Amino acid sequence: MNKIIMDNSMGQNTAVPALAIRDLDFWYGENHALKSISLDFPTRQVTGMIGPSGCGKSTLLRCLNRMYDLYPGQRATGEVVFDGRNILAPGLDVNVLRSRIGMVFQKPTPFPMSIYDNIAFGVRLHERLPRADMDQRVESVLRRVALWPEVKDRLNASAAALSGGQQQRLCIARTIATRPEIILLDEPTSALDPISTARIEELLDELKQEFSIAIVTHNLQQAARCADRVAFFYMGELVEVDTADRMFTAPHAKRTQDYITGRFG
Amino acid sequence: MSVQKTLPEAGRGWQRGGAQAMRRRLVERLVSMLCNIATVIVLFVLFSILWTLVTRGAAGLSLNTFLHSTGAPGSGGGLANAIAGSCEQTGLAALIGTPVGMMTGIYLSEFGQDGRVVQLVRFVSDMLLSVPSILVGLFIYLIVVEPAGHFSGMAGTLSLAVLFIPIVVRTTEDMLRLVPRAMREAAYALGAPGWRVILGVCLRAARGGIMTGILLALARISGETAPLLFTSLGNLNWSTSLGAPMASLPVTIYQYAGSAYDDWVQMAWTGALLITVAVLATNILARWWLTRNGSAQ
Repeated sequence: MNKIIMDNSMGQNTAVPALAIRDLDFWYGENHALKSISLDFPTRQVTGMIGPSGCGKSTLLRCLNRMYDLYPGQRATGEVVFDGRNILAPGLDVNVLRSRIGMVFQKPTPFPMSIYDNIAFGVRLHERLPRADMDQRVESVLRRVALWPEVKDRLNASAAALSGGQQQRLCIARTIATRPEIILLDEPTSALDPISTARIEELLDELKQEFSIAIVTHNLQQAARCADRVAFFYMGELVEVDTADRMFTAPHAKRTQDYITGRFG
Repeated sequence: MSVQKTLPEAGRGWQRGGAQAMRRRLVERLVSMLCNIATVIVLFVLFSILWTLVTRGAAGLSLNTFLHSTGAPGSGGGLANAIAGSCEQTGLAALIGTPVGMMTGIYLSEFGQDGRVVQLVRFVSDMLLSVPSILVGLFIYLIVVEPAGHFSGMAGTLSLAVLFIPIVVRTTEDMLRLVPRAMREAAYALGAPGWRVILGVCLRAARGGIMTGILLALARISGETAPLLFTSLGNLNWSTSLGAPMASLPVTIYQYAGSAYDDWVQMAWTGALLITVAVLATNILARWWLTRNGSAQ
């Protein structure tokens, strides 16, 4: 397709990763939810995170944009290095961080405003754009997520009127509109029908040419289809990480094997 | 395959339950009948009040009512001063109470983290919600009227504001708590600072409910008499000064309805009609607003 993908050929970590986790521990109060995780997210690749419910994969995602900051009692230790800085360090501007590392959630969460403003809201937080530039930004991200033909005549209509799949694509558009370098997706299709899911998966394939992507999923087929590398989590530990191909054909750990063959989960 | 000509008759399966099913159907019919009767009673009371008000009140309704201030018995006065006073005092009370109430509600819902202060504020606010309004009047009398040495529209406004605030606090907090956590997180995830999440997303999602709360609070205070008796007192003449005693519809009704003069009693009916129509209109507006914006999320 293009050379970016070739450069990041499967499983090779020669390039500097977009994000590197080192010895990350995480607590919900007393509950030790992540135990000494070290993991790299290669640039412009899709890293899938799988594992049974409660294994810590969503928690890990929420460390990467400091979402846990919102809740007292949740804390992380260790290092998450992004663009040369440990983002867990105090004093970091989390709002800048979150504009550089965007997040898409399980349930579509359109804001109670027009389709246009849903996208402009995030952009306005970080940039002052003249109206024409904003119009262009809105159009380009909506084209990017293949929503433009469906909504171009009703940009001022409420986003709540869109279907679930459209709403989720709007949320992705909203996220890439702030021009992040990394996109975190937390089970982005688990609330969607199969057709909408397929469209989002296609979209991921397209987006990874520009963004580094981390996706948490319950759906192993989805991980196999979309991810270049897959990490398997169990009980707060990272059990194994490998290319998607090897992970689903020849996993090393017994627990990984049991999980992907459906023996538990 | 052809369609079968004769279809089976009702089978015995339909007799399942026997006497028990029969009783269930009977109970259901009885309960729904009781509900209907209760509804009819409520509606009957409401409409008989309305009917009485309209028939008695409309007789005194004329342009005169709106153009002239209250006057001596037999002088053909109107209610202009009372209408203006009511509008001024409730309007100002809403202007004071809305921002204070909303900000407190926002504090309780967004910044509280369920600490001691929050629980105290919520407790006090809920207590104010159910405090007899006459106590609010006495309270303002003690802290405003007595030190100043005279009754005033300002004191009336303040006492209405005290009644107004807790209603808005409660609705604002409740409505903000209904905003899904995922929506907040989505806004934070775009790099929005807390205040923009609250103002730009949460308040917007909750605006329908909050607006309804404000309108209902307005309806509530526009009919209050007791707190005004000790604060703005009433005024027979036209006055819009907040520093002087001020007339209001409820107080005028209270004074006129008990008087011995037929034309004053008539005016009381007319005033009652005006308040009721205004409150009813506000309530209907609030409902309409809620159904229109209630599903704004």
